[in-house]
Amino acid sequence: MNHVALCGAGVSVETADGNLRTILKPTTVELTEQRIAVIGANGSGKSTLLRLLNSLMLPSSGTVTINGLDTRTQGRAVRRQVGFVFTDPLSQLVMPTPLEDIELSLRRVHKSAPERRSAAAGVLEQYGLGALAANSIYELSGGERQLVALATVLAVQPRLLVLDEPSTLLDLRNSRLLRSRLAALPQQLIMATHDLELAQDCTRALVVDDGAIVFDGPAADAVARYRRMYS
Amino acid sequence: MRGHAHLIAGYVPGTSWLHRSPLWLKAVLLLIVTVLCFATGDVYVTTAVLAAVVVLHFVAGLPPGRLWRPVRLMLVFLLLIGAYQYWQSGPLTAWRVVAGILAAVLASNALTATTTVAALLDGLVKAVRPLRRFGADPERFALTVSLMLRSIPFIIGAFDDVRDAARARGLERNLRARTLPVLIGTVAYARATGEALAARGLGDAEDRRVGGAGD
Repeated sequence: MNHVALCGAGVSVETADGNLRTILKPTTVELTEQRIAVIGANGSGKSTLLRLLNSLMLPSSGTVTINGLDTRTQGRAVRRQVGFVFTDPLSQLVMPTPLEDIELSLRRVHKSAPERRSAAAGVLEQYGLGALAANSIYELSGGERQLVALATVLAVQPRLLVLDEPSTLLDLRNSRLLRSRLAALPQQLIMATHDLELAQDCTRALVVDDGAIVFDGPAADAVARYRRMYS
Repeated sequence: MRGHAHLIAGYVPGTSWLHRSPLWLKAVLLLIVTVLCFATGDVYVTTAVLAAVVVLHFVAGLPPGRLWRPVRLMLVFLLLIGAYQYWQSGPLTAWRVVAGILAAVLASNALTATTTVAALLDGLVKAVRPLRRFGADPERFALTVSLMLRSIPFIIGAFDDVRDAARARGLERNLRARTLPVLIGTVAYARATGEALAARGLGDAEDRRVGGAGD
């Protein structure tokens, strides 16, 4: 089990006119459940909260620790434990084909090129994507791309998987496919989502509004609370 | 924008002799082509080398469109160079210079079309490894070069997309409408790529110090 802790962690940015704008108010929360959803309106601070967990963003105040590692001073070690999946898989895939992208993920693990290629092919097979290995990432459907992006992150076996609205760009069929794939993963998942069905698969959910967690509890209650906020 | 990126450059899968050749051999061939074209100064040699490169392209099973694409992109540049050389030194020199540039570009095009980015990355890592003693990081160097290669088609694709968008709004003659979105899109693309690499821990050198901004 992972121990993810935000202790007074807040994020502010300086605007063009020199003022400080708060994106995330100082937040203290521990995230230990296996499936945690973060829901809220666009611009509420969900993505900021998630980015703190992988050291993509550093807190302006307070600390964020992952299994005791401080994201500010031990970012490299944190990233080795925390995989991050973006909303748009094209932002995530940097090589021309799925096989090469997974090979890129594995460069640190396998120094020998043939070994790396074989391991990358194995990862694609493991996630049912073997047939797409040599396709251009631009020729894949949105759903295939998102599954490949997920595979590139899982290839290095992170202990915690953070997903930023992973189903936003997917149609219903692909969204359900992704949902079933995520349900089968052994890793702890923390995901921001607008897909309330996906959120309800989780055991715990945080509702974020205006840069603050306004509800923290069972997913069903959080979804009901979120619906009430905009009814 | 990125939807067009795959139309230009990139690896073309195949099993030809050139596909199977090691990267070092392709690099040596590219060097020979360049030296023959620009060091000999002989119009017949340059013409023969250009013909050989074109034959090599088809022997490698690469599509004709892939041969024409870099020529199309460089057409204005080639015409300007050719016209200047014609005016300064006559038709033979003009042809020698243009054919030399074409041969070098098409040879490098054949190299990238028959070599996967992963193989290029490995080759670059090996090539830079001796510089490690001077503080170079071969993995980061190779990653930088491969990202640069990946970015070129994106930027070309961005120009195409922005041109279409400008045309749809009747702004095809507006230079600002045709360039500014490319600039903004390219910066956004660079940021997104950097973020994706950081999230995956690729290119990490050492842990940041306290007080640093996010990646």
